[in-house]
Amino acid sequence: MIVQALGVRTVDDLSEFGTDPWWLSLIKAVLIFVFLLLLTLFNIWFERRVVARMQHRAGPNKNGPFGLLQSLADAMKLMLKEDIMVKAADRLLYVLAPVISVIMAFLAFAVIPFGPVVDVPFTDRQTPLQLTDLPVGVLFVIAVASVGIYGIVLGGWASGSTYSLLGGMRSTAQVISYEVAMSLALVAVFLYAGSLSTSEIVNAQQRLWYALILLPSFIIFWVSMVGETNRAPFDMPEAEGELVAGYFTEYSSMKFAMFFLAEYINMVTVSAVATTLFLGGWRAPWPLSLWDGANAGYWPVLWFLAKVMMFMFVFVWLRGTLPRVRYDQFMALGWKVLIPVALLWTVAVATIRAMTLDGGLDRRVLVGGALVAVLLFLLLSIVGERAPKEEPEAEEQPFDPFAGGYPVPPMPGQRLPRPEPAGVVPGGAQPDQEDDTARRSATEEGD
Amino acid sequence: MSVVGLLFLLMGAMAVGSALLVVTTARLVHSALWLVVTLGALAGCYLLLGAEFVAWVQILIYVGAVVVLLLFALMLTRAPTGVQTGLTTGNRVVAAATAGVVGLVLVTVVVAGFGGARVSVDEESVGSATSMGDAIFRHWVLPFEVLSVLLLAALVGAIVLSRGRASSGEETP
Amino acid sequence: MIAVHGSVLAQEIEIESPNIAYSAIYPILIVFGVALVGVLVEAFAPRPRRYVVQTVLAAAGLGLAFVGTVLVAGDLPETQNGLARGGIEAEGALAVDGPTLFIWGAILLLSFFSVLLFAERRLESGVTAFAGQAAALPGTEAEREASTRGLEHTEVFPLMLFAVGGMMLFPASNDLLTMFVALEVLSFPLYLLCGLARRRRLLSQEAAVKYFLLGAFASGFFLYGIALVYGYAGTVTLAGIDGAITNRVGGDGLLLAGIGLMAVGLLFKIGAAPFHAWTPDVYQGAPTAVTGFMAACTKVAAFGALLRVFYVAFGGAQWNWMPMMWIVAALTMGVGCVLTLTQTDVKRMLAYSSIAHAGFLLTGFVGVQAATRDSDDMTSLVAVMFYLLAYGFTTLGAFAVVTVVRDSSGEATHLSRWAGLGKQSPVLAGVFALFMLAFLGLPATSGFMAKWAVFTSAWAGDAQLLVIIAVLASVITAFVYIRVIVLMFFADPVGEGPTVAMPSVLTVVTIAAGVVVTVALGVAPQPVLDLAHQAGEFVR
Repeated sequence: MIVQALGVRTVDDLSEFGTDPWWLSLIKAVLIFVFLLLLTLFNIWFERRVVARMQHRAGPNKNGPFGLLQSLADAMKLMLKEDIMVKAADRLLYVLAPVISVIMAFLAFAVIPFGPVVDVPFTDRQTPLQLTDLPVGVLFVIAVASVGIYGIVLGGWASGSTYSLLGGMRSTAQVISYEVAMSLALVAVFLYAGSLSTSEIVNAQQRLWYALILLPSFIIFWVSMVGETNRAPFDMPEAEGELVAGYFTEYSSMKFAMFFLAEYINMVTVSAVATTLFLGGWRAPWPLSLWDGANAGYWPVLWFLAKVMMFMFVFVWLRGTLPRVRYDQFMALGWKVLIPVALLWTVAVATIRAMTLDGGLDRRVLVGGALVAVLLFLLLSIVGERAPKEEPEAEEQPFDPFAGGYPVPPMPGQRLPRPEPAGVVPGGAQPDQEDDTARRSATEEGD
Repeated sequence: MSVVGLLFLLMGAMAVGSALLVVTTARLVHSALWLVVTLGALAGCYLLLGAEFVAWVQILIYVGAVVVLLLFALMLTRAPTGVQTGLTTGNRVVAAATAGVVGLVLVTVVVAGFGGARVSVDEESVGSATSMGDAIFRHWVLPFEVLSVLLLAALVGAIVLSRGRASSGEETP
Repeated sequence: MIAVHGSVLAQEIEIESPNIAYSAIYPILIVFGVALVGVLVEAFAPRPRRYVVQTVLAAAGLGLAFVGTVLVAGDLPETQNGLARGGIEAEGALAVDGPTLFIWGAILLLSFFSVLLFAERRLESGVTAFAGQAAALPGTEAEREASTRGLEHTEVFPLMLFAVGGMMLFPASNDLLTMFVALEVLSFPLYLLCGLARRRRLLSQEAAVKYFLLGAFASGFFLYGIALVYGYAGTVTLAGIDGAITNRVGGDGLLLAGIGLMAVGLLFKIGAAPFHAWTPDVYQGAPTAVTGFMAACTKVAAFGALLRVFYVAFGGAQWNWMPMMWIVAALTMGVGCVLTLTQTDVKRMLAYSSIAHAGFLLTGFVGVQAATRDSDDMTSLVAVMFYLLAYGFTTLGAFAVVTVVRDSSGEATHLSRWAGLGKQSPVLAGVFALFMLAFLGLPATSGFMAKWAVFTSAWAGDAQLLVIIAVLASVITAFVYIRVIVLMFFADPVGEGPTVAMPSVLTVVTIAAGVVVTVALGVAPQPVLDLAHQAGEFVR
């Protein structure tokens, strides 16, 4: 009601969609395509400039105003480079991989709402600022993202190179693992919105953004979206120190450009999804929302873009600040922290939701529940940290410096044998005793 | 024939055709990829039948996760680029015959079981998330929950069988 | 029923929550719940304490579930003109009725004693009979290290509880889908447990793989049968299928094929010929505690399911499947008896004996003898349930005895090693002789009463020919059992002879329970027969 009084037409239900004439859909599709291309060029420049500032440099500033045309020039150069086809490659898949990557990256944007229902200029038609929506829109985004993995895994394999293969494998494992946490984080949103459609989720956030009431979901989603896009500090698949360039080591020219494009669009996509699901989508933030016109017409596109760029900035910020984590640490974070926490949180939200719908929920119960949840979270993190200490078997392994016939460094928990001074009768009991004490204290802590 | 009907036939043909390619192609990885096409075409069939939720879940789970893991396993073991020989064994005739009979009987079952029954796909409620949720979490809730127990038991079993010495350092997968 | 109205959105979402009568199904929930707690214990409890915690947890959970079963049985409503007691619960997924509860009680009691066997530690000098580390390859350095460090897999307890939960669901399922899920839940942990023996690991792993492959194959048959039956009836609920069979004309081919394929899946679990091939290998290779558990509990659960499916859903098509079951019963008894004669390994001998007993049970099953109100006739349901309980305790006790007779390389299962056991340990040999006599069906043992019950109902149900075959088969197997007794008491030990290790109180209690039940059901079977009788028919 209020919305109508303000003169804003939001999408009431999905019947708004599917009524566009074909030319309007085409225009929307082309606009989204162009928008994403331009945004990618802009984002590359943006990233370079921001990282440069963080490193007290200037960054690209010569070509065009503020160096804005730098990425365009780079793109042109990339197109003109020689397109190398590796001998060991599986030709069809080698070509197909970057194409899959980039198509899937574009596809996800079909269901992202940019704004409310607006008048189409030069006609008397009204249309939502969104290509289309499905009753299961968010599921569509996740599904498309999961198909996008094929680009990476096939690119890695079809190159016929070990570096590529390893990069592809790492990336796949990473994306699949983090997809679980990501999807689990979204469950709470679905429970509150009562829908899987993006436009309806934006509608449901009229009063309050889900980032505020579902803060844990938001944090989990944010962390996993960095992992999902293979960005620093989770960019092991393209760790240049270890794998040259990961799955696109053997790619050049346009095919490389397509991977590059897909990566940046994916960043925008996850940012847009986060905006839609947690930050009220195209709705104006608080002080601005006091102005009646803020949520009408084409203005919301601006708020939407601002929120997306906020996420982009954090992506860049993370890259400029954090060192790359080790692969096992990354996996441990995903499987042992994010997924259990997301599960617990989902259960908590479902319980609260059921109780609320069941006929009123006492505030105090809610607060008490929240306290318990926080306690559980702390407990979990403590237990999680302590878990390895409980099983000190690793410490008992004697260190074999020539395991398998090659000189190897000590594994975690092993120690280098203390050099025995010549002429002294080897005792050997000393380190063992230390181990024993360490183990005993660890077990006691474990109790 | 309506457009939907035509598309359905196309999708069905695509599913069957690529399924055949799964078992005949001479490259292991390509075979897995044809499986992707099969499963995707199946998802298309679901979509055309109005089961939107099932269709996207099919893509998400089977295309996006199961086959990727399959590829993963292939690549970790033996997946050279190029043609491999010896993928088809002498049992192929028997296998084909068995598959044919099984398929035939299943088709008979579906035809006999549903016969002339018609379900309108235009009704929104048929394959929606709401009706799926209603079916799973009300009528079939007990088998559904027990299935989760089954998966947990399988998980525990897999860990028992595979976990070597309880070392503190995690192996990278 | 709670109707919830979505308030956030313009659109109304109406969700009805499922109607679950927790007061009727909580024994199952207790078992599954304790299993889940067991998994958590594995994750968080320090390793040295897990054994005690898991054992106590499992035993207490099963005990509690048994108490719950008794309480549930106490207030079952009467239905179907007093012929049956109980009702359909959990949105039509479970039938909690008299027979279900009797079978639950039997499974829970038997699995309680199995837990005690699982937990036996003294026989392996301080560790359980399960592999210290399943992932370590047999004969490697890693395996030796695992055993010197005294590692043990305490996960076997939650796994076993999962299996018990599945076994409880299986005979209680009121639709084929639930039944299939239950079948998988009960089978999967068993496949795994079979491969976890501490000694003779290759044999154990081979058993597990065989059981898994054949079991998966049998499950496939079962599932395919379900599909065919669904095609025929258009529903998977047992009552719906019954209705379709009664009312529909035509399409019998589909139904018969479906019944046949489902029978394959069920008969495989029971170990009936010609689907018995896995039994001897798996029984021999699996850790003996697991073998005892499987022999006793799986048989109870699978027979419960077989009875329910064939009596409730396919009762109307009785004349169609009866000939098949006749043949299977006769074949099973024949194969079981004849092959028992040739065995030289105690565990294999017990395996073939279990096949023979499956045949006797099928005899009771075939003589379909429905209950009439206020009659004291021996119905086949009562007979089979009584037989299952009696046989379960005897076989569990027999396998418990097998764990105790040992030499330097573990259990001495070769029959020749048992020569002269009676001189070594008259008590143990006497106990084993008692079990043998019960298998044989000597009066004053539970075996006699069980066989008498089964044969009476089969005779009354016009299966006289089968009864005659069964009696002949009993005579043949008598030879084997007597031979074992003679071997134990009147033969001279070979070499140093077997040693009888002194087990802890856990195994002693299990053997004692076997002895007590075997004798009690032989001398005074009436209370249990009454109980089975009171359970009434299956609800529909």
